[in-house]
Amino acid sequence: MSYDRTTYGIEDLKEFDDKICEIAKGYGLDWYPINYEICDYYEMIGHMAYHGMPSHYNHWSYGKSFERTHFMYNMGQSGLPYELIINSNPSIAYLMLQNDFYLQVLIMAHCVGHSDFFKNNRCFADTDSETIVSKMRNAKRRIQEYSEDPNIGLEKVESFLDSLHAVRFQTERYGMPRKSKKAIKQEEIDRFNKYKEKGIVLDYSVLNKRLLKRDHDLLSFLLEYGRGYEKWELDLIEIVKDESHYFMPQIKTKILNEGWASFWHYKILHDLSLTDDMHVPFLKMHNAVVRPHIGGVNPYHVGFYIFQKLEKEFGLEKCFEVRETHDDVAAIRLFLDEDDFRELNMFSYRREKNGDVFISEVSDHDDWKTVRDDMIKNTGVNTIPHIFVDRIESSGELVLKHEHDGRDLDLDYADNVVEHVRKIWKEGEVKLFTIIENDVWEI
Amino acid sequence: MSIFKKHNTNADRSASDRRRHKEKIEKAIKEGIHNIVAEESIIGQSGKKKIRIPVRGIKEYRFIYDQGNGSKGVGAAPGSDIKKGQKIKEGKKKNAGGDPNKPGNQKGEDFYDVEISLDELAKYLFDDLELPELEKKKSADLFSEKYKRKGYRPKGIRPRLSKKETLKNKIKRKKAAIRNGSYDPDSGDRFTFHEDDLKYKHIDVTKKPITNAVIFFIMDTSGSMSKNKKYLARSFFFLLYQFIRYRYENIETVFISHTTEAHEVSEDDFFKKGSSGGTYISSGLKLANDIVGERYSPSSWNIYTFHCSDGENWSEDNPKALEFMSRLIDLSQLAGYIQIKGATNNMWGEEMAKIFEPLTSESFKVLKIQDKKDVWPQFAKLFGGKYEL
Repeated sequence: MSYDRTTYGIEDLKEFDDKICEIAKGYGLDWYPINYEICDYYEMIGHMAYHGMPSHYNHWSYGKSFERTHFMYNMGQSGLPYELIINSNPSIAYLMLQNDFYLQVLIMAHCVGHSDFFKNNRCFADTDSETIVSKMRNAKRRIQEYSEDPNIGLEKVESFLDSLHAVRFQTERYGMPRKSKKAIKQEEIDRFNKYKEKGIVLDYSVLNKRLLKRDHDLLSFLLEYGRGYEKWELDLIEIVKDESHYFMPQIKTKILNEGWASFWHYKILHDLSLTDDMHVPFLKMHNAVVRPHIGGVNPYHVGFYIFQKLEKEFGLEKCFEVRETHDDVAAIRLFLDEDDFRELNMFSYRREKNGDVFISEVSDHDDWKTVRDDMIKNTGVNTIPHIFVDRIESSGELVLKHEHDGRDLDLDYADNVVEHVRKIWKEGEVKLFTIIENDVWEI
Repeated sequence: MSIFKKHNTNADRSASDRRRHKEKIEKAIKEGIHNIVAEESIIGQSGKKKIRIPVRGIKEYRFIYDQGNGSKGVGAAPGSDIKKGQKIKEGKKKNAGGDPNKPGNQKGEDFYDVEISLDELAKYLFDDLELPELEKKKSADLFSEKYKRKGYRPKGIRPRLSKKETLKNKIKRKKAAIRNGSYDPDSGDRFTFHEDDLKYKHIDVTKKPITNAVIFFIMDTSGSMSKNKKYLARSFFFLLYQFIRYRYENIETVFISHTTEAHEVSEDDFFKKGSSGGTYISSGLKLANDIVGERYSPSSWNIYTFHCSDGENWSEDNPKALEFMSRLIDLSQLAGYIQIKGATNNMWGEEMAKIFEPLTSESFKVLKIQDKKDVWPQFAKLFGGKYEL
């Protein structure tokens, strides 16, 4: 049987979906039910602008995102992603009308992999996949109300969101679970009491300080320690914070998530015993998706490699274990050795002042570890500079610090972000300390 | 097992966010446009021609790492033939004469190329500026009549009879007659036109006061006016022309170039002709006075006079220059003396700007331009824009 790109219908998609689901179940994949929405390319760009969320609050930046994608698509500079699926129960995925039939089949198999990853990977444990869609819808409605409220208005809402967006990714990082203000205080009191039992009296006045521990989750910090916010402002902070927390696991697991989905679309498509007219274009597409990118790490490329390697060396069970317990940084550290770096043909490059880019290290015996370390620095949360709240001065001044890891901040951007923080920190000045060219730098 | 549905709700969900984004871009154009007014690309364009201008994108700031000198990244090569030190990307070649500190050269800049017409450019540029006492001239007595079709009337002259509307009325009446039984279509009787069916096209006359303006562009083309100075003068004149054109319906221009003697020349010659010889500032001013006397009665013309020179003059000419300038100021709605002078330029004698300074008033301004970047602020100053210096 052959399926023409223009004549296939929903029945055809359903037929293949049933087959895919059966195969996936047979392997032990365990995913959320998937709702596929069929849309045209224009709607697809619209959904992409809002990260696939069926409803999302309004902000001009999503209009910008739309314009850019639309422009690039029209210029032929980029295709659209073939798959877009969100972490929710049920998962919502989009299928573009313009896709050839074989591609829809590939996407459906791919989506099963993603949904399984969302449901089972530990990083996603707290992402509210059950309620996220309605939560976003409610947030949109409330923000709409604030924008229409004559006492607040669009301008204020927009500018507050601008500032929140500037720090939205300054949130939880690897191995740094955040403790609430209350929990930190209780811990300190317990510690003091312990010493007291031993007859040592510590300086209790410390407990009156507002911030006892540096805080790397800026939005949660504002909610707990900030003063003088109006109700709607607190609500906006919470909305943006929740969304960041929801998306953070996807940043942490881009390679494994895409790798897992590619690993499964490849396997499932193989088991489907497709006819040549579908199998050949499928293989072509698959190779295009997992090919190396010269300018950066292609998560499909590296992720697919990792799971293929794990299956070959340790069996499928190990693959399931890794998809459950690991994030990208851990997987790179644990499973990629010198041979793999050579096989993947990874290299480090260095940008020069005039814009030239040179290969600085290749994955040979001497340098592969440098390449790996550079790769880890460019993976997941490590792509986001680590900024934390160091202290609140008695004057109300907020002191931020940058945990410098050898990479300087872009100062133009940093200046502007600090400017944004000044707008949302209502009690006093805001300062940021970082290091620029080996010297302390204050903004 | 999965659910499939055709999506047809909120089809254009990002429309309002796109509109907001567009508004922000327009604001950015408005704010950024002042920096490009002296760029080659817009000077001397005419008509409705579209020009492309780069506008800095509306940035979303967040903390990011510096992607500049020495920063590192990781890639993967498709083939096996890579080696240390290999160049994988060519930096941008430096533009000749480009300013290395220009923000546009920094990485990660979003630039939108926005295409706008000169008229739109004028709107963005000039909305905040005012012409002093526009239309103070006798223009109130002069009107241009504009004719415009405006609906239909039951009375009118025969040539304006609208056959279509008239027939429509007849058909309406006929249908109604059939409905209420007063006319039987099968009876063979003709259903005739009635006086009430007639409809005439109505023409509305609007009177608009005529606002005439003439701009005198006077430029010193003596040997000391270098190419660069002339370029600055040209930028300034271009803005003036666009601005005044933006405010008036009817506009004429007079180009006068002078060394020790003055000539009325074509626009083309005005900007292109080479420079040589000495300077009598008064010569250009005198010719302008003469031309006003011959062709542009101040009672019905708004006169604008602008004189560009590098400030050098034969000193024996200074008193005469002063006299003709003050006469011209009296005739003009607005006059300006624009001194274009490099920062390092040393000259002998007193510069003209100092000599003209005492004449400064509401309707006469002395401006100094040293550099491309002075063009807009000085221009805005001339028209009392909110652009503070």
